[in-house]
Amino acid sequence: MDAFARNATRRDFVQIAARAAALPAAAEFFAAWLKAAQDHSHPQPPPAADFLRDYKPRFFDDADFSALEAFTEILIPTDETPGAREAHCAHYIDFVLASADDVPSMQKEWHGALATLKELGFHSADASGRAALVEKMSLRNDKAFPVFRLIKKQNAFAFYTSRAGLIENLDYRGDSFNEVFPACTHPEHHQI
Amino acid sequence: MAKTFDAIVIGSGACGGWAALELSKAGMKVLLLEAGSDVNPFRQFRHIYPYQLEYRGFGKPGFLRRYSGTERNYRIMLDKTENPYTTSPETSYRWERSRCLGGRTLHWARASDRMADYEFKAASRDGYGMDWAVTYDDMRPYYDRVERFIGVSGAMEGLPQFPDGVFLPPMALNCAESIFTAASKSLGWPSTQRRLAQLTQMHENRPPCHYCGNCVNGCDVGAMFSSVSSTLPVALRTGNLEVRTDSIAAHVRVNSEHRAQGVTYIERFSKNPVDVDAKYVILAGSTLENTRLLLLSANGGLANSSGTLGQYMIDQVSAAGVTGFLPKLKGGPSRLDDGKSSGITIPNRLNFDKQSARKDFIRGYVMNATGGQTEYPLFAGDLPGYGSSWKKEVRSRYVAQARVWIAGGEMLARKENYVELDPEVKDHWGIPVLKIHFTHCDNDRKLIAHFQEEARELFQRAGGEPMPGMEPEPAGFPGGVGAPDSGPPTSRTEKRRDPIGGSVHEVGTARMSSDPKQGVLNSFCQTHDVPNLYVFGGNAFPSTGDKHPTLTMMALTVRGCDHLVARAKGVA
Repeated sequence: MDAFARNATRRDFVQIAARAAALPAAAEFFAAWLKAAQDHSHPQPPPAADFLRDYKPRFFDDADFSALEAFTEILIPTDETPGAREAHCAHYIDFVLASADDVPSMQKEWHGALATLKELGFHSADASGRAALVEKMSLRNDKAFPVFRLIKKQNAFAFYTSRAGLIENLDYRGDSFNEVFPACTHPEHHQI
Repeated sequence: MAKTFDAIVIGSGACGGWAALELSKAGMKVLLLEAGSDVNPFRQFRHIYPYQLEYRGFGKPGFLRRYSGTERNYRIMLDKTENPYTTSPETSYRWERSRCLGGRTLHWARASDRMADYEFKAASRDGYGMDWAVTYDDMRPYYDRVERFIGVSGAMEGLPQFPDGVFLPPMALNCAESIFTAASKSLGWPSTQRRLAQLTQMHENRPPCHYCGNCVNGCDVGAMFSSVSSTLPVALRTGNLEVRTDSIAAHVRVNSEHRAQGVTYIERFSKNPVDVDAKYVILAGSTLENTRLLLLSANGGLANSSGTLGQYMIDQVSAAGVTGFLPKLKGGPSRLDDGKSSGITIPNRLNFDKQSARKDFIRGYVMNATGGQTEYPLFAGDLPGYGSSWKKEVRSRYVAQARVWIAGGEMLARKENYVELDPEVKDHWGIPVLKIHFTHCDNDRKLIAHFQEEARELFQRAGGEPMPGMEPEPAGFPGGVGAPDSGPPTSRTEKRRDPIGGSVHEVGTARMSSDPKQGVLNSFCQTHDVPNLYVFGGNAFPSTGDKHPTLTMMALTVRGCDHLVARAKGVA
């Protein structure tokens, strides 16, 4: 078995539990542990939440949402791996902002950011115009750099906490059941 | 009429769990009071990916202003709106607290290092402060007992400043840790695997770690030590322990003979006061809550004939370190790097003997280093650029992350750092809250500056490189995903926040002393003034030392319980 693969089988856990259960007073504990292992071993990481797939924007109007969606997809494009589109980043950002009534300053800043994008002509620009605008905004001395940074940071969070970003792009290995920890066996890492 | 127990233990964390275990095993009828709820990590903490949570772990915007922690573990934290505290104007201390059965043992880092003899005798060595009323030889058998039960993974190193213990096999090192080990060795600095109360093999009917990571959310199988998985189940099996959760201790009642009569607690939801009596009262909550209870229990504070109660609050200096990347690891495959409580330890190398003595500051610190894959790439939002090339760069650096941090930087104990009852502010139950007065001194700042230089040297020797072109945080960034209150913390190449702040290792405020005029507790953590009142926690510490405090707190608890049981049996 690949020691750190996330595909531990029920048999693995039964074997571990059987060995451990030979110890006194372990049966009850291991019954619970085995059940936890079976319920949560994640042979494959679970699918993404459905609600974002069917989500209808509630915070932004159609024009702003469409602009935000385009902006996020320029920042994290779909290439050989999924991007902001597959991760529904704009939907997630809208969902969070729609839930942020307790933090009105946050909602105000985002309305302001999209208003700036509109003033800059992002909403009405074609694909190449939008790409040029994003490139200009990405420069630190650009007046609209704070808007670029705001969207970039939120988009990065939305993407890398999604299944598309965390699993399909980064191949995150944690949150799994493993028999041993994968020790470093690379000689080049053991010398400077 | 109040029901009478042999002992009342207040608090169910590391010390409360041990006190309940030791006293119930000795045949005493014990009542344990816990202010928080019975949060069961076996049921409630699962292997959950962030995308399975509506708010990806950070809760609805604004939510985490109420709780410390995350959407995953807020239930083991404390509701800050119900439990405020205040600070003096010059204080920026952040007091991190839990309220649940098991307390902070459900989410602690599990670092379990023995203090060395030089730390117990710090004042004799450098003339500052006060020696402990115990020595390493006094503590050794109790360290042994605690380690044998909780299970500590670690390697024997034979370093006088980092005493070896009773160890399970050490955790394996990931690639970044191997590189840092090699770097440390090339600098001539000894290093070892972090010593952790995290099982690498079956132990005391608890399963070994399954390396899922997310340990701070509470271990779902009990492979990491907590009261809930370890001490309390054994104590409950004696039949001598009764646990009452959601029971907030309000004060200790004292009788006319100046002995502790019992405790008045308030039922959390009904707010009804309840009296319970006992032959012994043991305060074993978090350090500052113990002191708060003593302050609440008599004018001027209970057991305070020395006048030192509340004084000499200390916490190890923190908030320094270096983060970046190890080029050797860039572009490599994903590995389970964060499936354990990661890191190597570089023990203190300063001021523990004549050869290591410095002229510019006293005391020392421990350094930790780790790296590799983490669940969320904290650096991504700060990495310059965008588009496919940026995405590939994030992926390449994801497995090459590296950081060096200060594990236990000794802060000097000073009288002017103290807690008192706030004369105006009360908690949700009408109980006065603590007001904290806390600043750092020049020695603290020099020590942390020295650490920063050494951390940089280690990082560079490992070949580490900082984040390219850091983008500064925008001023006035509002709450939301990505903001401090409700989003992932932002990364920094070099974290140099104001070290005044707190590192969750708060100790002192009822220090132990051989002379009753110099402290609140004796070497057994029994109050000098009230013979049937014990205080287990970090309260007794006259100095912080450079080790994580929890193992020493537990060992002091076991030692104190031996003393209590002997007294109860009339043999001490």
